Amino acid sequence: MMSESSPLTSHVLNTADGVPAARLPLSLHRLDPRIMIWTLLSVGTTNEDGRCAGLISREAFGPGMYKLRFETGSYWESLGQNSFYPYVEVVFTISELEQRIHLPLLMSRFSYSVYRGS
Amino acid sequence: MRMSQDYAPCPCTHARHQSLAQAGSLTAFGFHSSVHMSVSRLQQLKGHIFPENKITAMAAPSPLSTHVLNTAMGVPGSNMALSLYRQDPTTNTWSLLTSRTTNADGRCPGLITKEMFIAGVYRLHFETALYWESMGETCFYPYVEIVFTIIDPGQKYHVPLLLSRFSYSTYRGS
Repeated sequence: MMSESSPLTSHVLNTADGVPAARLPLSLHRLDPRIMIWTLLSVGTTNEDGRCAGLISREAFGPGMYKLRFETGSYWESLGQNSFYPYVEVVFTISELEQRIHLPLLMSRFSYSVYRGS
Repeated sequence: MRMSQDYAPCPCTHARHQSLAQAGSLTAFGFHSSVHMSVSRLQQLKGHIFPENKITAMAAPSPLSTHVLNTAMGVPGSNMALSLYRQDPTTNTWSLLTSRTTNADGRCPGLITKEMFIAGVYRLHFETALYWESMGETCFYPYVEIVFTIIDPGQKYHVPLLLSRFSYSTYRGS
């Protein structure tokens, strides 16, 4: 099996139920600094382990401002529950060609946390 | 009639108080307390209703509050700029409700009034990079936005931000 080659990875965990958040849609965007508009780079859905492969290629992951948007509201809805947050957007800055950025999202219906991992 | 210094006539015109009474029972306005406490009390109540000094005014607490904590340094996130927006449900555009700066305790008292706090989707925008920059540090997150849905505006909502340079978390408190 090919190892994850995307320099940007995420992992979504449902901390309320103690399981990976599977089948959660997410999207990656980059800010175009000239016109201050977000450009959609890729969309995906987390697998059974709460991960999503192939978010971006190494060549495309240059310095800039990026946004990872997690459709958390849709996820909880698919489980028949409501949530305080309709979605979660994490905006972060890449200042140089990074080797690897791992951005997990730990979430419940009424809380979430993000951190820069490895 | 000779009056000792312990006694003074009440300057009012009420017949009951034409007689002398102990000076100790006089209020600040020089009226006898048993009848005229209500006068000074009315003045006091007027001061609450029409406060000249806003610091002592009893304002209703905001139904929405936040609290920024710098978890890296173990201190409140003070002097952080933040803004509160509400989304128009028909056009999906965001309207700025207020722009504030956290106080020394990392809070913004009186963030929104009960009247303004209707059901809807809100967005709290925190200027996290500017905050860390003011301390000579970088931050992985140029800003943090927390978008949340208010279904029942009659409840109290607390939306804190626990923040370091490389991580943050939030939860729905009360």
